[in-house]
Amino acid sequence: MLLAPQAAWAKPIAFADGTTVMHERNTNMLETQAFYAPAYWWSLGPGFVRLTSDDKRTRRDIGYVQFNVLAKRWNLPAAQGNLFAFAGAGTVRSTQAGVPGARRDAVWRYGGQGDYETRSIYTSFKVDGYKAAAFSHRITTAQLGVAPYEHDYEDLATWFLLQARHYTGGLRERSPGVRRIEETLLLRLFKGPVWAELGVNRERHTQFMIMYNF
Amino acid sequence: MNPSVIPALVLLAALVPTAVQAKTIRIEVDGLVCAFCAQGIEKKMKAQPATDKVFVSLEKKVVAVSLKPGQDIADDKLKAEITDAGYVVKGIRRSDESLDDIRKHVKAQK
Repeated sequence: MLLAPQAAWAKPIAFADGTTVMHERNTNMLETQAFYAPAYWWSLGPGFVRLTSDDKRTRRDIGYVQFNVLAKRWNLPAAQGNLFAFAGAGTVRSTQAGVPGARRDAVWRYGGQGDYETRSIYTSFKVDGYKAAAFSHRITTAQLGVAPYEHDYEDLATWFLLQARHYTGGLRERSPGVRRIEETLLLRLFKGPVWAELGVNRERHTQFMIMYNF
Repeated sequence: MNPSVIPALVLLAALVPTAVQAKTIRIEVDGLVCAFCAQGIEKKMKAQPATDKVFVSLEKKVVAVSLKPGQDIADDKLKAEITDAGYVVKGIRRSDESLDDIRKHVKAQK
């Protein structure tokens, strides 16, 4: 019933001594994160995600602190591969239409990501989990992207991506007409420190994300 | 030694280091495929006191650093900074080319 909390960004760590600020929203989700990376292999920061069910009757507000680590990197002459792991903890405030008051729980966040990219192909596989006393969700995301031209650092980079997500814990499969696996077509643009993504899924819900690195 | 040649030698000694001082350093880097990679390395190189300007080419996998007059960055320091940024140095070469010339050459080769 709830749609996924998932920042469709490429890496949880941008670069050493770098700060990443991200905001993403669609009709069912709003998320903001800020991570600082003291070194290229780890980062830490706060985040907030609001999940709203399709029928707008259920809402979960999750505030958390997350730790990200780069477990392994492969630097190749014309490609790069990465393995990330992340974990976090926070609190969730859940409300339900027709039910007075709100429920508060502790929530754990965990996951991992692998990616491989060249200047013309991007692939990633990510598992993102949330666990609380009242719910447990695991969201698996795969992305395949192609660039219509090979950009350089000073150019505008353009990517077209196909994204597939699988949900557990009753996030989508109970909603009539909504597929359990969500497929989204994304346009990704970035230039310098700014990264933006715009997409639409098969239910014609839009998704927008913007990220700034400094 | 003829005392009259001493000023000439002093002048020569002062000029020789300037004559052989490289204007730029070209660093070949593996794993340089995205804007994040370039931004991180650019930030590291710009933080060096001897750095004047930085140019990064994803196409050529090259980081070019123009140096302030009379200054240099040791190879070990360059390797350490690139490694600390998460990438692998494949080669370091010094050049008398200006950074603008390197940029023009890279763009012309596209």
